[in-house]
Amino acid sequence: MGSLPTNRTVNGFAVSPVDPRVIYFATRDGLFKSPDAGVGSKPIGQGLKNMAAIAVSPKRPEEVYASTTDGAIFKSMDAGVTWSRQP
Amino acid sequence: MPRFPRVLATGLMALALVCTVPLRSLAAQGEANKGQGFEHVHALAMDAEGRTLFLGAHTGLFRSENGGRSWQNVVMSERHRYLDVMAIASDPRDASVIYVGTHEAGVFKSADGGRTWKEVNIGLGGLDVHGLAIDPNVPAKLHAAVREKGEGVYRSTDGGGRWVRVDDGPGGEVKVLSSVNVSTGMGGIFLYAGTAEGLQRSADCF
Repeated sequence: MGSLPTNRTVNGFAVSPVDPRVIYFATRDGLFKSPDAGVGSKPIGQGLKNMAAIAVSPKRPEEVYASTTDGAIFKSMDAGVTWSRQP
Repeated sequence: MPRFPRVLATGLMALALVCTVPLRSLAAQGEANKGQGFEHVHALAMDAEGRTLFLGAHTGLFRSENGGRSWQNVVMSERHRYLDVMAIASDPRDASVIYVGTHEAGVFKSADGGRTWKEVNIGLGGLDVHGLAIDPNVPAKLHAAVREKGEGVYRSTDGGGRWVRVDDGPGGEVKVLSSVNVSTGMGGIFLYAGTAEGLQRSADCF
């Protein structure tokens, strides 16, 4: 019950400021979130592809930003469940 | 034995989370937003106050004060006006302190929220920095992943004042480096690396 194929390139990485076991990472195939420091993970932000980077607000752990390789910025206000593109 | 065993080893296509934004809508928005001028994005980070978002790209460093709706280019060096920004690490306690790793000029540090910058490369064996991690418990302690010349992981314990090579680093090209406040059980915390060969972490008493 792992998550990523071993050869998947991980482009971006971010950690929850309140629980360091909660990590996010960005790959060409989309965004992933792990509740247990990377032992297991699941995809988040369905439909997002070519993800390059991800960041979590240090003050508001539910506020997460991600960028595609091309620079489209997406924001989540619920810790990665739903995403909207920044205009 | 590799210093960075893979964290995520086996394949699983987990169930997708229910997303309130339609899948096709998001994908279409992403397609429509190509070419903002960043060319190739490498890094994203927020300052300690959660106000300023920094973005590192092939075309330089950018900052946004409105959650990524608009961006301003940040000139870090008159000598290097077009830096390829590979990594960004913000001090978790002091919003004025930001570190940036570049493809061609090493590490830059700002102590005034990104207004002025200085190169902090003493001890680095090379200037192609692909990852920068700041220790969440001891913000003056950093690790930098250097590629090509002088390849390896370097550590600074004085906020970038001096770097010492401490490890060969993970296998595969490093894309991102991060110190994660999860105990190794050996008195340290883990250093994670996102690489071309997956997510890896080192428990090597960093």
